Amino acid sequence: MRPVVIAGVGMIPFERRDEDSLVDMLSLAGLRAMDDAGIGEHPIEAVYVGNMASGLFNHQVSVASSVVDRLNLMPAAADRIENGPASGGSAVKNGFLAVASGYCDAVLVIGGEKMREVIGPRATDIVACMTHPNAEYIYGITLPGMAGMFAQLYMEKYGITREHLALVSIKNQANGILNPYAHIHMNITMEGILTHPQSHINNPVVAEPLHLYDCCPVSDGAAAVLLTTEELAASLGKPVVEIAGVAQATDTHTLQEREDPTDLKAVTIASQKAFAMAGMDPADIDVAELHDAFTILEIAESEHAGFFEKGEAAEAIKAGETKIGGRLPINPSGGLKARGHPVGATGVAQIVELVWQLRGEAGERQVEGATNGFSLNFGGFGNNVLAFVLRRQS
Amino acid sequence: MSTITAYKCTNCGHVMYPRHSRCLNCNERNFEEIEPEGRAKLLTYTIINELPWGIDERGRVLGVVEFENGVKALGLIKSEKVKLGMKLDASMTPVRVIGGEQVLGLTLS
Repeated sequence: MRPVVIAGVGMIPFERRDEDSLVDMLSLAGLRAMDDAGIGEHPIEAVYVGNMASGLFNHQVSVASSVVDRLNLMPAAADRIENGPASGGSAVKNGFLAVASGYCDAVLVIGGEKMREVIGPRATDIVACMTHPNAEYIYGITLPGMAGMFAQLYMEKYGITREHLALVSIKNQANGILNPYAHIHMNITMEGILTHPQSHINNPVVAEPLHLYDCCPVSDGAAAVLLTTEELAASLGKPVVEIAGVAQATDTHTLQEREDPTDLKAVTIASQKAFAMAGMDPADIDVAELHDAFTILEIAESEHAGFFEKGEAAEAIKAGETKIGGRLPINPSGGLKARGHPVGATGVAQIVELVWQLRGEAGERQVEGATNGFSLNFGGFGNNVLAFVLRRQS
Repeated sequence: MSTITAYKCTNCGHVMYPRHSRCLNCNERNFEEIEPEGRAKLLTYTIINELPWGIDERGRVLGVVEFENGVKALGLIKSEKVKLGMKLDASMTPVRVIGGEQVLGLTLS
């Protein structure tokens, strides 16, 4: 395999975007990545679009074909990659393989989802379609519900409190204020979401023990990366960020068939493989973007990825270690909690944020001197996980 | 349907629900169809307030239980008090209307 670098990144603000269709959003993010790379008229040979459910949300399929048409990238190869909430990460992995193998020199990867076209309960139902049809979906299980069942066990096993969860939420919302691409720009306080006797008015239960501010919002948005070779990237003149490690792992569809349902095996395996491929370990990472669709997941993922021992992340968060300026800043973008989680966009948006961080272009939320970054895109309820290690070349 | 159907590997005895084409433990492809037996112990649960489109209620309790013969499954919990480890009895009741039809599911009370 030859090295693969990210020559350009682009994103549109995540929010409710009534004026834009899904293809509008994907195309705009794609153009921004092309312009950021300065690719000019150099041919782009393939386009991978990460998207979970355009058929259900937007009544449109074959969106990758629409995107190459809109961007006049024909006759580039075009595929939509559907892998649940890990669709974005899977699309980047496919782009990586295309360049690493020598099959393509320039690949555009775009992730996006337009979820706000439907009402909230419809969006909840569409997202729940990733659960097992007979063993889970029919009962009305939701993704917050899956996370709630996981949280019951994880919190009890490791002594995690609602205060720990709230600290994750407060940190990520504070980071989101610094990110012009984030959906939610609102400071929240411990009093407002937990300690005030009337905090439940602001922060009602979604799925016990998880409350509203433990859950990501429902957003529209898109993000894109342009992947290419070291040679082509050198001619474009941007700081070179390499995909040093990429790995994917799967686990059982249902939680109940896992030997230990608190053990996110796919997170551990994907992370270890990505670190091994990069020749690094967790201590080498300067900034991480984790998949905090629910606050409990940021805690559990940071432990399973190897940044903390099991049961130690919650106290590290309390000590401020994961804030910008801390030992290991996690989700300086605001994470899914504040940036939003347009499902297919997330895995790509995480990598866009890391590239900005590693280039020193992250503005007020910059992690000083960041050279190595890590992202984790968590699909299903941990049944399909991708991990990436990024490195800025000197 | 009087209850859910689980699967016991004819080679190693591993109990699975839902169905797989190869045993999760030994890759065997043949299974004996079995039913959950005995009382069900609640392993974890959640109380969902924001339910999907089509379920017009709040506070639905769902949980994962383990039966005495090792079958583990998600089900609808109908109990005034809910506590991890509590023992429940299984039945099949309508759990959701899909495409205009009542769908029966594992119900624990």
